Amino acid sequence: MILYDAHHLAPCYAVRLLAGCLGLAPELRPLDVYPGHEHRAEAFLAINPLGTLPVLVHGDHVLTDWQEILAHLALTHDRAWIPAHDAALFGWLGMARDLGASAGAARLIDTFGAPGDAAAARACANVLLDDIERRLWFGERAGRDWLVAGAKPSIADLACFVFIAPCEDGGLSLRDRPALRRWCDRVRFLPGFVSMSGVFPPMANTGR
Amino acid sequence: MNRLESGAWYAIAADHDLPRNHVYRTVLGGHELAVWRSTDGAVHVWEDRCPHRGVRFSLGEVVGDELRCQYHAWRFGKTGACTFIPAQPDLKVPGSIHANVWPVATSAGLVWTGIAPVGTPPALPPGAVIRAIPIRRPAVALAHALAETPLRGLALILQPLDEGSTMVRGIAGGDDLARADLALMALRRRLEQAA
Repeated sequence: MILYDAHHLAPCYAVRLLAGCLGLAPELRPLDVYPGHEHRAEAFLAINPLGTLPVLVHGDHVLTDWQEILAHLALTHDRAWIPAHDAALFGWLGMARDLGASAGAARLIDTFGAPGDAAAARACANVLLDDIERRLWFGERAGRDWLVAGAKPSIADLACFVFIAPCEDGGLSLRDRPALRRWCDRVRFLPGFVSMSGVFPPMANTGR
Repeated sequence: MNRLESGAWYAIAADHDLPRNHVYRTVLGGHELAVWRSTDGAVHVWEDRCPHRGVRFSLGEVVGDELRCQYHAWRFGKTGACTFIPAQPDLKVPGSIHANVWPVATSAGLVWTGIAPVGTPPALPPGAVIRAIPIRRPAVALAHALAETPLRGLALILQPLDEGSTMVRGIAGGDDLARADLALMALRRRLEQAA
């Protein structure tokens, strides 16, 4: 299994995070996205004409959509991560894409000089973060720890986490969003958790 | 900056904000605070700043009955005193290394602090602690709006955050948290759009 990867890109991090939680170690092929623009080079465009990362090559499969990769890994290794019987899974995966276009975009604009309107991205992100905070808070009152009902986290938790955990790098704040901060801690304390620049790993509470 | 009234208690968190092994983060009148719960259930309110290098305690981690700073893993016990410096494991830590500790009281499902607070926190009617909602309006403006148009069935408490924003906390009589939430979000939209 080969993962074409860029450390700082949240969708790549989502795949590495799920792989860690599943105990998988895909062979990483890091691309120099910034400043090297290797994802626009012919060699990579021959693999993925869209020029997007991550890309997973698994046997005959070449997967170029990060959520499809998450689904593929969950379906082939541990279906508990993909509770597809619950429509909420699809809502939350959509939410994760919306977070990518808002909180994720603000982070790339602020920290990597990506083009775009950071203020507009933050305005969109704040609406989404407020709504996730509300839903998580009421979820906690109902005894739920995760985005999709059930005792275990799903790929939707990881898909949203990779944009929410580093969102302060994009000028957003989790300070007045306590349920989001508690949920981030629950994700951080998952067995197999891996970190990314800007996302602190657990120091002590994992027993490692 | 929201001036804090000396002697007053301010609600800064709900009991449910403080699970074990978690550092809650808030701000009161411009003072950044880190709040955590030790294994005996006691709640600790500290300035959100490690005395070593000034990194936020709320980036760190609770380990049993100690808060551990993310930067150099210095550990601080319930009194706020530094207990262990990993880079100097044999050192008896000088008592002068200390987190800045705030007063704390818990009542009505809320955590309270303040500057030299006097007596006990204000009594509140029975009910359930509602979801706290931040509103981008100064506490005085919010108090004025709520005096003009009270929200039925809700006992509300204002936590001045930083300049121009306020956390609205409170108790819902009848335990109807969903209704309280809708009322507060409507209040937020009304006040922020009017601002």
